[in-house]
Amino acid sequence: MQTLQIDSIGKSFGKLEAVKDLSLVVPPGTMYGFLGPNGAGKTTTIRMIMEIILPDRGQILIKGRPNTSREVLDRVGYLPEERGVYPKMKVIEALEFFAELKGMKKRDHAPKINEWLARFGMTEVRDKKMNELSKGNQQKIQFLTTVLHAPDLIILDEPFMGLDPLNADLIKDVMLEQKARGAAIVFSTHQMDLAEKLCDAICLINKGQKVLDGEVKHLKRNFGRNNVILAYDGNSDFLKQNGLVKDYNDFGNYVEVHLREGASPQALLAAAMQQAEISRFEIAEPSLHEIFVATVKEN
Amino acid sequence: MDKLLTVMRREFLSRVKTKGFIIGTILTPVFLIAMMVVPGLLLFLKSDKPKQIAVIDQTGAILDSLTATLSERNASGQRLYTFVKPEARPEEIETLKKSLSEQVDRSELDGYIVIPASIYEEGQADFYGKSVTNFRDNGRIENAISRAVTAQRIQQSGLDSKQVRQLVRRVNLKTFRIAEGGKEEEDQGRTKTVVWILVAFIYMAMLVYGQMVMRSVIEEKSSRVIEAVISSIKPFHLMAGKIFGVGALGLVQYSLWALVMGLLSRYGVKIMGLSASKLTNAKLAMPSLPPETLVFFIVFFVLGYLLFAAMYAGLGAMVNSDQEAQQLVFPLVMLVIIPFLCTFYIIGSPNSQLSVILSLIPFFAPITMFARIAAQTPPAWQIALCLALLVATILGMIWVVGRIYRVGVLMYGKRPTLPEVIKWIKYA
Repeated sequence: MQTLQIDSIGKSFGKLEAVKDLSLVVPPGTMYGFLGPNGAGKTTTIRMIMEIILPDRGQILIKGRPNTSREVLDRVGYLPEERGVYPKMKVIEALEFFAELKGMKKRDHAPKINEWLARFGMTEVRDKKMNELSKGNQQKIQFLTTVLHAPDLIILDEPFMGLDPLNADLIKDVMLEQKARGAAIVFSTHQMDLAEKLCDAICLINKGQKVLDGEVKHLKRNFGRNNVILAYDGNSDFLKQNGLVKDYNDFGNYVEVHLREGASPQALLAAAMQQAEISRFEIAEPSLHEIFVATVKEN
Repeated sequence: MDKLLTVMRREFLSRVKTKGFIIGTILTPVFLIAMMVVPGLLLFLKSDKPKQIAVIDQTGAILDSLTATLSERNASGQRLYTFVKPEARPEEIETLKKSLSEQVDRSELDGYIVIPASIYEEGQADFYGKSVTNFRDNGRIENAISRAVTAQRIQQSGLDSKQVRQLVRRVNLKTFRIAEGGKEEEDQGRTKTVVWILVAFIYMAMLVYGQMVMRSVIEEKSSRVIEAVISSIKPFHLMAGKIFGVGALGLVQYSLWALVMGLLSRYGVKIMGLSASKLTNAKLAMPSLPPETLVFFIVFFVLGYLLFAAMYAGLGAMVNSDQEAQQLVFPLVMLVIIPFLCTFYIIGSPNSQLSVILSLIPFFAPITMFARIAAQTPPAWQIALCLALLVATILGMIWVVGRIYRVGVLMYGKRPTLPEVIKWIKYA
């Protein structure tokens, strides 16, 4: 059974169609990247999963049951993009409050809270007020409330935003542990390199519509092996002169080239060697970044 | 249901623990007690001091009677009023007054009275003193002189003084209140004051605790914590938890105050070391209200709070900040102030057509209908109709506000216009 199944949902705000006929599935134990440019409809979709906004059409199933039941949503952890805290509440009180909102009893959440605070190195701040914590520590507490009740589905809207590398690594490690435990994790991000390294599968949406989804390795394969990486020294006019190149990302002495359909990588190499000194030539898999940019532009 | 309790507990505890709540809870009864007791207390403290008063009695007949009438002694056995007679010849009166004034100034005397020979005809005596605003002293002296003069007049007229006193005896008007079923009860004359106080309590409950609910909604919105919360609890339950949590706080606060006042009116006297007879003068004792009035007080207190808390919650969901809320809060405050201002009229004529209409408007009813019930029990059908309308309005309001709340708490930025809010209600 899929942990999350979305069946052709749609949502309009007045004339704006924020989400159009979107479907996707996330199996258990999956790290799922939910990608798309700003305003693509990611947050709206996530809010519909959490039943904060009701879809106009379609349905959302979590472990086979509609998300309209609160028991179903109790098995979900959610870190919204708009993250706030109760400023005057103590850390421990806030954690208890959110644990209880997820249906945990005190005898169950008390040891868990201590365990997680220790893991995050925050045991000393348990009696501090939330507004006395640094932004990073506040965000760790918020993240903690999303995993405290060991949910089956964890939804994180931009989990790494505003974190220093150390804390980002901590969050990443916990995400991987949760995945190993069997939880499905859906997260949105604009950091493509991170998504590429972390995700088993992704969904790319643009203007409210799904434009691409599936396992990352399949997507890369299907995108075609017509990707060339060149390290060069000299004139880069070869990128523009011939009809081989569809588009490229030039870094000055390093360039990622996306070839036209049917174009030969060898022909590009020959052209390049006439104008520049080539120190590296590689026929590569496309990066998620390239797939993202190419697909969104095409779209 | 468990989650609703979780929210309720948070709302309750996070407020009970604040300094503002603790100070407010303690200071309010202290303030009320001070208002009631201090004036009376001051009166006793002042009047316990013996007073030395000179009397220029040009009739020669009043002074002895005055000394006989005002013969009370204070706790240490001294006379409260001692009247002394200076040597007075009519041609020296101005000189005498001057020398007496100097004695008053040196605090050798508390004051002096000039009783002219013409007092039987003109009925006027003059009192000179440093402090002439002690109404208790002034009243007693005036009474005593008046009695002495009257006695003299009767004697001069040759009538039988006993008979005359019989003829001119004062009439007291004792007031009774007709309760339901035509039962008569003696009215201590303070019922009106107590009704006023109870109406003010309902008024405060609607305004103060209603605004507390509103601020709680705004706080969650402006701190952006709301999204995490409503992903775990239905917005409607969150709103209900807030309203019940703050409501419970209000009940606790009022119960504490009622308890303090109750204990004080019973035992406070002994604590302060005053005798019970003096207490009556201090007007501390609460008149007993019929139990039905208290039941209706609680009913209207709770219903009034629920109605306004729901409206305030909806208002809070529409705005982004306290400042923005203050601009919109005016119509809601008017809904409380208008009936409060009408109370004066309603207590005066509780069964007039206007009073009946005012008491049936659901937004006014918690104040207006309660005031009517407290003043004179209205027909049962009117109470029933009023309660039915009020409960229906509360349910309708909660439905509407629940929808505004659901959409509104996630709306940041521009304040919504009325058509936008109507759209929220339709599509939520």
